[in-house]
This record gives sequence, structure tokens and C-alpha cells, in this order.
Amino acid sequence: MTQATAKSMPSASTMEAPVAPRRNLNRGKLGMACLICSEITFFGTLLATYLFYIGRDISGPYPQDVLDISVAPMKVVFNSIFLLTSSIWIVLAVKALRKGRIKTFACWWLLTILFGVEFLVGTGMEWYGLIVDDGLTIRTNLFGSGFYTVVGFHAGHVCCGLILLTIIFILTLCGYMHKRHTHKVDMLSWYWHFVDGIWIAVFTIVYILGTA
Amino acid sequence: MTILEKPKQTLHTKDPNASFLSYMHQWIATSDHKKLGVMYVTTGLLFFLIGGLEAAMMRWQLAWSGMDVVGPEEFNRLFTMHGTTMVFLVGMPILLGVANYLVPLMIGARDLAFPRLNAFGFWLFFFGGLLLYFSYFGAQGLYGMGSAPDVGWFAYAPLTERTFSRGHSTDYWILGIGISGFGSIATGINLITTILTMRCPGMSLMKMPLFVWLMFIDAILIMIAMPPLTAAQIMLLFDRWLGAHFFDTQGGGSAVLWQNLFWFFGHPEVYILILPAFAYVSEIIPVFSRKVIFGYPLMVAATIAIGFISLGVWVHHMFALGLSPMVNAIFMGSTMLIAVPTGIKMFNWIATLYGGRIRFQTPMLFSLGFLTQFLLGGLTGIMLAVVPFDWQVSDSYFVVGHFHYVLFGGLVFSIFAAIYYWMPKVTGRMLSETLGKWHFWLLFIGFNLTFGPMHVSGMLGMPRRIYTYHPDRGWELWNLLSSIGVLFQIAAILFFTYNVLNSLFKGKKAGDDPWDAWTLEWETTSPPPEYNFPEIPTVHSRRPLWDKKHPEDPDWKYE
Amino acid sequence: MTTDELHPRPSEPQGIELPAPSSSPFTCAFGVTLIAAGLVTQWIVTIIGAMIMLIGAIGWFKEVHPDDREETIPFEEGPAAITARNQKVLRLMQGTRHRQRVPAEIHPYSAGLWGGIIAGIVMAVVATIGSLIEHGSLWYACNLLSATILIGVESQTAEQLAQFNSTSLIVAITIQVVMSIFIGLIYGAVLPMIPRFQLLFAAAFVPLLWTGLTWATISVINPTLQANIDWLWFIGAQITFGLVAGWWIIHTEKIDTMQNWSYLERTGMESPGIPSQGGEES
Repeated sequence: MTQATAKSMPSASTMEAPVAPRRNLNRGKLGMACLICSEITFFGTLLATYLFYIGRDISGPYPQDVLDISVAPMKVVFNSIFLLTSSIWIVLAVKALRKGRIKTFACWWLLTILFGVEFLVGTGMEWYGLIVDDGLTIRTNLFGSGFYTVVGFHAGHVCCGLILLTIIFILTLCGYMHKRHTHKVDMLSWYWHFVDGIWIAVFTIVYILGTA
Repeated sequence: MTILEKPKQTLHTKDPNASFLSYMHQWIATSDHKKLGVMYVTTGLLFFLIGGLEAAMMRWQLAWSGMDVVGPEEFNRLFTMHGTTMVFLVGMPILLGVANYLVPLMIGARDLAFPRLNAFGFWLFFFGGLLLYFSYFGAQGLYGMGSAPDVGWFAYAPLTERTFSRGHSTDYWILGIGISGFGSIATGINLITTILTMRCPGMSLMKMPLFVWLMFIDAILIMIAMPPLTAAQIMLLFDRWLGAHFFDTQGGGSAVLWQNLFWFFGHPEVYILILPAFAYVSEIIPVFSRKVIFGYPLMVAATIAIGFISLGVWVHHMFALGLSPMVNAIFMGSTMLIAVPTGIKMFNWIATLYGGRIRFQTPMLFSLGFLTQFLLGGLTGIMLAVVPFDWQVSDSYFVVGHFHYVLFGGLVFSIFAAIYYWMPKVTGRMLSETLGKWHFWLLFIGFNLTFGPMHVSGMLGMPRRIYTYHPDRGWELWNLLSSIGVLFQIAAILFFTYNVLNSLFKGKKAGDDPWDAWTLEWETTSPPPEYNFPEIPTVHSRRPLWDKKHPEDPDWKYE
Repeated sequence: MTTDELHPRPSEPQGIELPAPSSSPFTCAFGVTLIAAGLVTQWIVTIIGAMIMLIGAIGWFKEVHPDDREETIPFEEGPAAITARNQKVLRLMQGTRHRQRVPAEIHPYSAGLWGGIIAGIVMAVVATIGSLIEHGSLWYACNLLSATILIGVESQTAEQLAQFNSTSLIVAITIQVVMSIFIGLIYGAVLPMIPRFQLLFAAAFVPLLWTGLTWATISVINPTLQANIDWLWFIGAQITFGLVAGWWIIHTEKIDTMQNWSYLERTGMESPGIPSQGGEES
């Protein structure tokens, strides 16, 4: 083979040359971290817009009337708790997979999916209430435009995450998931944590700052 | 240097036994960073020709007062498509393509971190560009005719709202740019991951070539600055299709918000475009001065500083808006501040030239052209950062002159430098020096003849984006000069096209290392095999090939 | 996925594994574009686009799951050995210090600081003498200097400028001190880098350049101030500053940059066996 010609004869001095130590970063996880950075600036823009338009509406319904936590306390908080706790279940699931316990993994994974689905259903019911009872749509006023865009994009990301989680779940049931896939599954769990983290920001801005 | 006859597939020759279809499939299905890089740059250059033709049409129309080459509506489409094309379909793909090709080679890797995502990113850009240009046929304009976008490249609201922009042309702008934007984000993320995880043994961050450093910061800027544009475009799309009120001024929406969001993307975008130019000349100037780059650590620091500051200067595009004096003063300060790291780079390049044995070959000529013209563009940029001066010339041809000195005199010249420098590596054949010199001098004269007088016509009060003007303004001479310059530029581009085509088939064989350079891409064959390096190299310094060529006096002892 | 996945595997010497080509990314991107294009054409285009994207996505998924699909690329002819093209390398300095960063010796910062302060005082004296001779007043030059910052001073008449003004005095002294120290420090840093005629650079080149720049631009920057400047004394004061600061800095003893010291010496460690200040042994 001609490989030998590829490098010139290493001279004595190159042999002693120091080689900087290398660290092994995981490629997939780093890529996911970058995607999350990107997504954060995306949501940052939407949330900045929402903040900018708080209190600028000329006609109702206003967020104080329909979103105030004291008006509808349980619905949103209840939903949020479901979404946020699902992060715990996904951590436990990844832990189980790392140890090679596929069945335990499947259980926690299913729980994560169910909690995520509950959140989506809750959001759907909230939207139904807002549209039918309060008459708030995306074309009603600035609040409506901002609210449905921000919450809608978050729900879209939850939806996207749920599809991916479900695919993994089906693959697990078919017996395609193994311990060596931990990295990929962990990557997905980062995405799920990000969706949760964004919800905290959305919740703070839309339901607390926006209704003050 | 022995020149290897290679029967295997090079870029321009195809296996005679393979059918055309399988040849095409080879390109469509590829996830090889080199092929994708070539496709990026080729597509970018084709769009460059289209965008250039649009500009030539505009210059023809403006050559004298009262010309009637194109009507006002067509003129609006021309400048919109020219700006959009040059920024999103020429600058972005070429910079991503060159990075695609060179980053893995320079860091001693076999491919990018996510090869399939890389292919996906390219095809998103490609189809996004096609979708944008499909608007010429597909978009329903005001009178049911085909209509390209005509809202300017920064598409100020509320003129982009349904009420003012009937038909679909603005939707095509949103969708085409949005889709290719997703592609850019994907490739940006890919580059960051590649640079952080796939460097060859021994290549610590501070031993990377400056090219890689600059593309790293560039990719971070892409990752941070593109999503806000996408978000703003989605809001605009919701306004147009779902009746939301984000930028609908009658419904309480804000036109200023669009400007803020657009320029929050738009100004980093300018740096996304110019950092690769810095990257190319930072590699070319040392090699053709036969000296190591001056002040490497400071260059890295300046790059990082530019990356940071560029995220905080966007309001200088909106000085004429009437924001509070405090806001204007702050952004004037930050804009002046960004001149400091840029100045550091300028001085470091000059210091690299100082005392060097300069070889005036075509890549070097274009790099020197970059230095002078980018300096002029930078200086008018500092002038424009001064709020009262900006008020005087805002939205005039002075601004047009300024940013063409930066983006054409800076970016495009450095792109040509990069093509002359790296094309021997890509195709294995040299470009002609004689034709290259013709290309350079014609473009240099043409460029300065076109964009120099624009500063004068701008000072005389000629606003940008007008399709014609009255004869009594004293603008004719300057406009005529600008239009004459275009002829020189067209000639230059013809020389370039001929040179490239000629070199593909008849060019002199380049060998592995035609420029006696020092970075890793010159260690492998030209063109490189699909796996780049038969054996992953180990590096000890910033100039691994210097170490191998001069084992008695290697760099690593002094770094 | 691990970092070394794309790196060569020693057990397979006949080729290198790379990701297999796949048209799925192409299909997927085409589908995405059609989905978007449906918005501006026909809804059916969106449906078709979604289907195409789904096909692409499934194909893509199959590429990476359960493991990345790869193909083996056989080795081609390797690159030629790397040899030096031109063995002759010109050196700035010969011997062991040929890789030295110039300047090898610099003036201490204190030289620039003191040079600036002393030159600033002398310059102020010269300027005051100038205003005494031309206008019979101690305060003319001082008021004029403060006019670069204070609003309204520049439009005063020559008589008004000759009067004492406490605000002007404080502002002028502040400007003079800050600028003198600033320029002094720059001189201290720059002068060792000038190969020859350092005093000429300090006392003629820089003052003339600065005066020329001021003279050429002041009609644009501050036209009212322009009328009150005596250019002869202006340039005289500048040259005085350059001369004094340059002379002072050039005649301070230079110190070695630490570039030739070992790491231990630079950290300031002292112990038997470590030679102190290793810069001199070469």
C-alpha cells in the first residue's frame, strides 16, 4: 500500500515534539447543545416580541381577564407540573438504559410520553376555552397574536418531541433498543429538558409578567 | 514534486462507463464534504451571475437621467432580488461551501461531524433559492402577472403586510429565505461540532489555522443570528396568512419592531459574511509573504471580540428612525468600538506583509485588493457610525457605496482570492496567472469606477432605490461613471469564467502543494481522495507542513 | 457515536469507512420545500411535499439506526512526500535568537509615563510663553485648549480668551495631563520598534503628522476655533513635546522582554539550580 508515502519521514525532532492532549466531546450531544442554543434565540425573539406588546392592545380581551392565574388557577399550573415532572421520568429512563435495563427504560419512557400528552391535551383544552368562551383568536388583537404564536410554537416543539419519543418507544417494544444507544437517547432527553426549560420562560412571561 | 496521474474520479472527468444518471446520482446522494463544498460554491457563483445581471440592468437604467430600460415596478424587483440574492444565495453558500471543503481538511478530519445533515443543509439552501426565483413565474402580482418580491432586501413592515403587498411575491421571499436559512443554521451547527470534536491529534484550539478559528466564530454567529430572522419571518407570515397583528400598524402592531428584529439578524449577518473574507486572507497573506501570520493570539482575540460586539450594534441601521438620543449614542459607541478589533486585524495583516518576500500572484493580488478596498469601506463605515453624518446621508448612494466597498471590495475580492488559491487543491489544476491578472485589474478598475462615484452622488443627495432622476440634479456624470465601471466588471467576470473553464480541462497540473504552503490541506493529494488523509496526521504547531519541510527548525519549539 | 468513528481502523487496512451516500437528505429537503411552496401555489403541493418528506425522513432514519451505514473506500495513490521547496530561509537574526520576537528589549512603562509628564509640563510652558508674546496673556493657550471640550469658548473673541477662567484652567490641565500620559505611554511602546532615527520620529514625524491632520480637518470639525489658533506656536509646542518625551524615553535603560526566559523564571520562582534572569545567557 502507498500509505507509507503519505507522511514524510518523521525526523528526530518531530518525534520528541509535544502533542497536545485531546478531550473527547460527544459529537451528537454537542450538536444538540448547538441546536438548543439556536432554538433559545428563536424563542427569545418570540418572547421579546410578546414582552414588547404587553399592554399595547387597544381592544380586549386582555391577558388580565383571561389568563390570570387567580382566575383559572389549577388548569395551567396543573399542566405545567405534568410537563416539568416528565423531565424527571426521562432522566430515570436514560439511567435505566445506561445500565441495560430495557424494561425499566420502557416504563419510564412511557410515563414521560403520557405526561407530555397530558400537557398537550391540557393546552388544547385551554385554547378551546379561550377561543369558544373568551372569543380570543390569533386575529383578535396583539395579545392573541403573541399568545398563540408563543404557546403554539412551544406546543409544536412538545409535539415534535413526543413523536420522536414515541418512535423510540415503538423501537423499544420491537426490541431494537440496546445499551449502546444510550448516547442517542440521552441526546433526545436534552431536547426534552430544553422544551421544559422554555416552558418555564413562557410561563413566567405569559402568565405572570403578562398578567401583572 | 511528483505529479500523480490519477485515473479515479476527479471533479470534472467522469467515468466513461457510468451513465449520466448514475453520475448525477453520485452528486445528489453524496454526503462528502468536498463534493458538497463544490456544489455550494458552484451554485453560489451561478447565483452571483444572476445577481450581477440584475445589478447591471439597474446600472443601465440609471446611467443617465430619464432612461427607460426598465419600469419602476421592475426596478423595485431588481434591487430586491439583487440584494436578497447576493446576501442569501451568493455570500452564504460560498462561505459555507468553502468552509465545508476546507475545515475538515485543515483540522485533519475525514468529514464534517454530521455528513447527512450537511447534505440536507445544502439541498435546503438550493431549493430555497429555486423557490425564491420561481416567484418570477409563479407569484401572482397585482395585475395577475408574475412578480418577484419588490419590498427591498430588508422588507420593511408594514409595506410587507397583505394590505400593501398584494399577491404572493412577499410570501416567496419569506419562504425561500426561510428555507435556505434553516439550511444555514444546520451547516453552522455542523461546523461548530466538527471544529470542537474532530480535530486531529495535537491540534489544540490555539494551534488551529486562523481560517478555522474565523469559521468557528462565524458558525456561532450563524447559530445565534439566523433564528431571530426566521422568527420574524414566521410572525410576518402569520400576519399575512392568519391575520395576526405583529407588524400591522392599524392593529397596534409596530413597524419599528420589524426593523429591530431584522437588523438584530441583519448586522451580525454582515459579519457572518465578512469573517470568511478575513479567514481567506489570513491564510493567503502569510503564504504569499513567506512569513508566519503576525500576532496569532491577538487575531483570535479580535475575532472573538468582533463576534461579541457585532451582536450589539444593530441600531446603527436605524439612526434615522428617531429613537432617543441616548439609544443612538450607545449604538454609535458600540459601532465605533467594533472598529478596534477590525483595526487590529488590519494592522496584523500589514505587519505580516512588512518585511516579507511578497509574491504577487493572483491570490495575493486579490488579497491586497481586499485590504485596500475593505479599509475604505471600513472608514466610510466609521463615518456612518457618527449619528449626525448618518442623518445626512442615510439611505443615499453614499451608503450603497459604503457597503459595496465592504461586501464587494471586501468579500467578493477575497472570494476570488480564495478561488485562485484553493482551486488547484479542488480540481488538481492551476488557474492561469495571465488571465487571473487580467481578471484582477479589470475588476479592480471596474469596481472602483462603479462604487467610488457613488459616494459623491450620495453626498449630492441621490437617494437609493430610485429608478430614475431629474436631469437638473448634477447626478448624471457620477451615475454615468458608475455605469461605465460595470462594463469593466463584466469583462473581468468573462475572463474569470473562461479561466475557470479552461483550467478545468486544460489547466496545468497543480501537484499536492503548488504554493509551498503550511496548512494541512496541502499535505494530501489534489484533488483529495474521498477519505482526505490515508492516515490521520498529527500536528505539533500551527504550521504542520513547515515542521515537516524544515525539521531542523520546527515551529513547535517556539509556540 | 464516538469521536473516533470516522477515523481509520487499524484492523481494516484495505480501505477507510465513510458514511454511505444516501439520497434521503435530498428527498427530505425537496419535501420541505414543496410543503412551503404549497402555501403559495396549491394545497395539494403541500400534501405531496409532506409525503416526500416522510419518505426522506424514513430513509434517513434507516441510515442511522440501529447503526450508521458505512461503505469502505479503497485506498488511492497517496500524496507525495513532503519536502522543502526552498531550503534557503532568510532570518531576521542569526544564531540561537533567530526566532526572537522584535523588539527584544523595551523601555519600561515608567519611562513613557515620566517622559509624557515632563514633556507635558515643558509643552505647557512653551505654549504659555507663546500666548504671552502674541497676546500678552498667560491664559490664552490654556483657554484655547479647553475649547476643544467646553462649548462656547471657541466663539469668544481674542480679548475674552486672554482672561483668566477657572473652569477653563481645570479642564485644560486635565486634558493636558491625560493626553501627555497617553501619548507618552504610546511613545514608550512604539519607539523601541522604530529601527533608526527614533528622535526624528518622536520630535518631527509625529508632531508634523498630527499638526497636519489637525490643520486639514479643523475647518470641518470646529471652524470657529480655527480662527484663534497660531499655527506657528501650535507646531512649536508639539515639537517641544515630541523632543522632550522622545529624548527622555530614548535615554532610559531598556529592559529585556521575558520571551527568552523559562517558564519557571517568568513565574518568579527562585530556588537553587534555577539561573536567575535567563535572558542574558544567549
